Amino acid sequence: MRWELSPEQADFRTVLADWLGDVCPRDTLRGWLDAGDHATFAHRLHTDGWFGVGAPEDLGGEGGGLVELALAAEQFGRHAAPSSSWLASMVALPAVAAVPDAAKALFGDGAVVALATPAGTIPGGDATVRAAGAGLSGSVPTVLAADVAARFVVPVRGEKGLELHLVDAGRPGVRVQPRALTDRSRSVADIELDGVPSTLIQADAAEVLARCAHRGAVLVAADALGAMVAMLDATVEYVGQRKQFGVPIGSFQAVKHAAAEMLVKVESSRSIAYLAAAVVDAGRDDAAVYAATAKAQICAAGPVAADSALTLHGAIGYTWEHDLQFFYKRALLDAELLGSPGAWNDVLADRLPLVPGPEMSSKGGAAARAIGCDPS
Amino acid sequence: MDFGLTDDQATIRAAVADLAAKFDDQYWMECDRDKRFPSEFYDVLASGGWLGITTPEEYGGHGFGITEASILIEEVAKSGGGMNAASAIHLTIFGMHPVIKHGSDELKRRTLPGVVDGSTHVCFGVTEPGAGLDTTKITTFAEREGDHYRVNGRKVWISKAMESNKILLLTRTEKADEVAKKTDGMTLFLTDLDRDRIDVRPIPKMGRNAVSSNELFIDDLMIPVEDRVGEEGKGFTYILDGMNPERMLVAAEALGLGRVSLDRATRYGNERHVFGRPIGMNQGLQFPLADSLARLDAAELVLRKATWLYDKGEPSGREANTAKYLCADAGFEAADRALQTHGGMGYSEEYNVARYFREARLLKIAPLSQEMVLNYLGSHVLGLPRSY
Ligand SMILES: Cc1cc2nc3c(=O)[nH]c(=O)nc-3n(C[C@H](O)[C@H](O)[C@H](O)COP(=O)(O)OP(=O)(O)OC[C@H]3O[C@@H](n4cnc5c(N)ncnc54)[C@H](O)[C@@H]3O)c2cc1C
Repeated sequence: MRWELSPEQADFRTVLADWLGDVCPRDTLRGWLDAGDHATFAHRLHTDGWFGVGAPEDLGGEGGGLVELALAAEQFGRHAAPSSSWLASMVALPAVAAVPDAAKALFGDGAVVALATPAGTIPGGDATVRAAGAGLSGSVPTVLAADVAARFVVPVRGEKGLELHLVDAGRPGVRVQPRALTDRSRSVADIELDGVPSTLIQADAAEVLARCAHRGAVLVAADALGAMVAMLDATVEYVGQRKQFGVPIGSFQAVKHAAAEMLVKVESSRSIAYLAAAVVDAGRDDAAVYAATAKAQICAAGPVAADSALTLHGAIGYTWEHDLQFFYKRALLDAELLGSPGAWNDVLADRLPLVPGPEMSSKGGAAARAIGCDPS
Repeated sequence: MDFGLTDDQATIRAAVADLAAKFDDQYWMECDRDKRFPSEFYDVLASGGWLGITTPEEYGGHGFGITEASILIEEVAKSGGGMNAASAIHLTIFGMHPVIKHGSDELKRRTLPGVVDGSTHVCFGVTEPGAGLDTTKITTFAEREGDHYRVNGRKVWISKAMESNKILLLTRTEKADEVAKKTDGMTLFLTDLDRDRIDVRPIPKMGRNAVSSNELFIDDLMIPVEDRVGEEGKGFTYILDGMNPERMLVAAEALGLGRVSLDRATRYGNERHVFGRPIGMNQGLQFPLADSLARLDAAELVLRKATWLYDKGEPSGREANTAKYLCADAGFEAADRALQTHGGMGYSEEYNVARYFREARLLKIAPLSQEMVLNYLGSHVLGLPRSY
């Protein structure tokens, strides 16, 4: 088997990496994060024409698919770019696709769409918003990029079951309460809806949510991969310079081995991430398995690699002045974002012919069905 | 707090180490290879009076505690005899505990002196094909007929049954579905291993091959009532009594194996030169060994605390289980690392570490799996709901 990036994809990666080097260098990033400014980056991303890459042209995108998006996510992770609004929109795209106006506004004006599910869970769990009388009511905590979204895709418990609705963030009755994250390069906010008018999205809600979940898994995994790459590069550079006992600490075997372990994580993660991106993009039946594997494996490796990077940097890595903190926190948030490795491992376990655990069976089964993993 | 050994304990340690040192690597390698019971070793310990270390003096023993017994068995394992040496004597040095505590005077007078002087070899028959960790599921049945019990059933994994003339046998005298509590209705016997009635078939296995483990097919075995240990129906509680000290002994065996593995690895790390320097100079080799030292030392402390508590008559379940868990883990890891340190030579029988590796692996499974230790700690110590 041979699988590699097409020349166009490889070019895209190089050019995007260069662009990020110009637009999002460490000093600039630090300034943005200190000021709580994610908008400048989002604006540049849009005006410089990167936002539509990976989205179908008929929706107003530039073409390409999930592999391109994964390449972008990896680079964003590698620069710890404040990319929540991009990530949220790309995750919500299967829902947005059913509403041409929203798609046009997204790619034309950069009107961000966020999927209103808690950022720490796999999209597709129980809907907490209800359609009652004139509009939607209910609350959803910690929604990715909710603070900057122009629209929300809201899973709703309707009379006939699960539905998806599109809600304008500017409507009266919508309350958005930002929350502080330790990883300052991403943002979440709580949403409260009180009788808010909405548009029903004409699509199979469960199926769309499953696709959103799979995309999210792949993109967050790719982001974690990028963060690991950045930490590996920084670590290798640092241990080559830092001298103790008269020699660079990188000459100590245990240090070399720790760095080599990081490299193994990076390489295996890359193999998993792009295979998963291609499989999910192709809409294969077993997409859930690949998405879950990528999210569970890569996002579990991230914090371990981050921990090695911190150890190898010694005390300097523990300081606010050092850039390692951006990537360390990024990897830790990626682990939980859109479902922890444990949650995605449950998805995998449900696919294996195991006896369901006594109390887990109904709940785990429901979660698995919600994201399209019903083993039966 | 006092971490030192008493004079007696220090003497026991030195004396056992001395005796065990008479049996070299070659001896154990051959016993293991030829599946031959280490009779010479057993006899030396028996004639030195060591087999009765915990047996009360009135039955010919020394009446020492589990602390001394664990020191003895640790030394035996650490000498390089490993589990072959330990299993040869394991049951003798503490397995008679249920009999000592619950057996009739007559039974004790009749059996214990022979166990102490080594002429009686005993094995322990609990596990069955359908009842591993879930002991209450045993079905070997003892039916009372006058002054005898008629016993039928099957046991599996019974170590040393080939070499034994007696068996400590757990049976059911009431079926599991006829008793109020599933732990009721089990009865323990110490009886002759009558080969006309019990077919003993060794199980080919991965290691510890000097001591057999066997399948037992029991067909109308007639056991006289006098061979019953304590009361009918109480056998399970008698066995439970011995569980904690058993775990401590197993922990000591794992610890001894870990120690000898680490010694061998260290020696080889110093001796073997590759790329123009001793391989032990590589941090990639040195650190795992140093890590094993730390883990073995930590595991040892829990073991010492466990035996200290038990000998004082205090509850020791938490410590006994923790000791078994940590020693089995640290012991196996040390053996694995010793193997790795030896490179290709580790895989040959010549350097003995392959034997330690195979033996150390056993202690993560039997007599109690690591998972069951976690079950115990999770539910009994932490108070989480029982998961099984
Ligand atoms: C070399 C050797 C010598 C032995 N000598 C003797 C002897 O002399 N006398 C004797 O009576 N027996 C002896 N045994 C048997 C030994 O005590 C059992 O093998 C042991 O108790 C495990 O039982 P099992 O093999 O039936 O495993 P099972 O009970 O079938 O368990 C299999 C696996 O499932 C796991 N498991 C089971 N239940 C749970 C649970 N509730 N939660 C989580 N995990 C669980 C276990 O941890 C294990 O990994 C010996 C075994 C060996 C290998």
